[in-house]
Amino acid sequence: MFAVLAKYRHVFLVGLQNNLVYRWNFAIRAGFSLLHLAFVFILWGAAYAGQTDIGGFDLRETLTYFVTVLILQFFISAMNEDYEVSEEIRNGLINQFLLKPVSYFGYRLTLFASARAVSGTLALVPILLALPLIAPHLSLPPLGWTWLAAVPALILSAFIQFTIAYCFGLLTFWFLEIQSFIILSLAVETILGGQVFPLDLLPAWLHDLSSYLPYYYMMYFPAAMLTGRITEPALAVQGLGMQLFWAVALFAICRLLWTRGLRRHTAVGG
Amino acid sequence: MSALAHYARLWLACARYSVVRTMMFRGDFIMWSLVELFWMGVNLAVIGVVYQHTDSIAGWGPWEMTLIVGTSMLVQRLLMGLFWTNLFEMGRNVRSGHFDFFLAQPGNPLFMVSTRKLDLDGFLNVPVAVAVIAYAAHRIGLDPTPAVIGAYALLVLLGLAIHYATLLIFISLVFWIQSARGIEGGYFGFNEFSRLPREALKGVAAVVMVYALPLVIVSNFPARTLIHGIEPLNIAWLAAAAALWLTVAVTVFNRGLRRYASASS
Repeated sequence: MFAVLAKYRHVFLVGLQNNLVYRWNFAIRAGFSLLHLAFVFILWGAAYAGQTDIGGFDLRETLTYFVTVLILQFFISAMNEDYEVSEEIRNGLINQFLLKPVSYFGYRLTLFASARAVSGTLALVPILLALPLIAPHLSLPPLGWTWLAAVPALILSAFIQFTIAYCFGLLTFWFLEIQSFIILSLAVETILGGQVFPLDLLPAWLHDLSSYLPYYYMMYFPAAMLTGRITEPALAVQGLGMQLFWAVALFAICRLLWTRGLRRHTAVGG
Repeated sequence: MSALAHYARLWLACARYSVVRTMMFRGDFIMWSLVELFWMGVNLAVIGVVYQHTDSIAGWGPWEMTLIVGTSMLVQRLLMGLFWTNLFEMGRNVRSGHFDFFLAQPGNPLFMVSTRKLDLDGFLNVPVAVAVIAYAAHRIGLDPTPAVIGAYALLVLLGLAIHYATLLIFISLVFWIQSARGIEGGYFGFNEFSRLPREALKGVAAVVMVYALPLVIVSNFPARTLIHGIEPLNIAWLAAAAALWLTVAVTVFNRGLRRYASASS
């Protein structure tokens, strides 16, 4: 057990070093995300002009939701993992994992954890710098059980994000080019993951429908828990149950794609 | 004149190659067209949801706002069709050393880098963006004259020049940093402001996004032209902004080019 952990600890440390090489890219990306935040503040500020309530939430609560989503993106979102898996399959780099006692899924998951540790930490820098400007427009709910319940929700969200990216990467076994699949899925995720508006602003039937899809649990669900948009324990438990279901289902799909994909894979060269 | 004809021939050759290549990968072409269509749907969905809860944003109703967003989409589709892939790949090529290939070609490096490929899927969605604009104009009850439509087209082209310059500046940063990974996001970050009405921006935001950077006016001026008719001052403003930003972008690219020392990997 300890030997296995030590193996992945090394992968994690190498991942940290690799990602620190691109520290400026992460920092610049995080800096640019403040532009998105400015856009959100201006758009929603104008939408709230003349009214105090949209969908049962005031402007500060809505802005808090968007800031939370922005921060979470750097900690739990899959960024380049799909492309990296795809490249490793295309270039034959996965061949080494077929011969060594290392799980490719475990290896990629560990690298994902290290990448998010770096990107999340670096993203906090511009956000902390901007905090004096944005803090007066935010209103966080008091610390309570939802924050505690948000911890497993965040871990499961990250896992769901990773498994979806991993599955898209594995499509390389069948398709030469997977970028269009990824960006198509990203468009759906942007809407149904609650990244451009809180999902509770959707018509009730669409909101209910989206709560059965994995996208709902990739970002909206943990962000809603942290920002007081989900306050009923029953809804939180139900959401965690659905998250667990999708995490297991997506893991099973990953396993299936890997097994089936390897049957098509040809390792060439030494 | 002969130089112009030379570049026109080069561009046509590249365009022909792009069309042939796209037709070889028809499934890919359909998928990318769908991708572009979905992203346009995302932008329209945001308007739809926001206007379910409010009647006006900075004095702009839902269809006026659709006109702004539609114009922004039109400029972006043109950018995607003509330049996006080329500049996106430039970011990767500088890092890998494949950029050498463009320096060895018979033409200005910036022209060769910017025009090698056309993305037909981007162009395929231009009519969709035009349809969105036409429908929004119909819902507002506009009946633009040919002169107004001509002025609108001119403003869209000036907007395209500004978008191209912005993207080129961002991608040219690759000459100074390790890679362009994530940098392209900066363009999309700035481009978001082109979906806002100018009146929504106040104070410092207005100074930066309207006056210092021409991000908001790129879509607002054409939309205003359709609604209120030709405003010469706005055309002059956008033309001056396009000239200025193109100059800055070309300067940044040329400075970067001087730093380029190929790569061995």
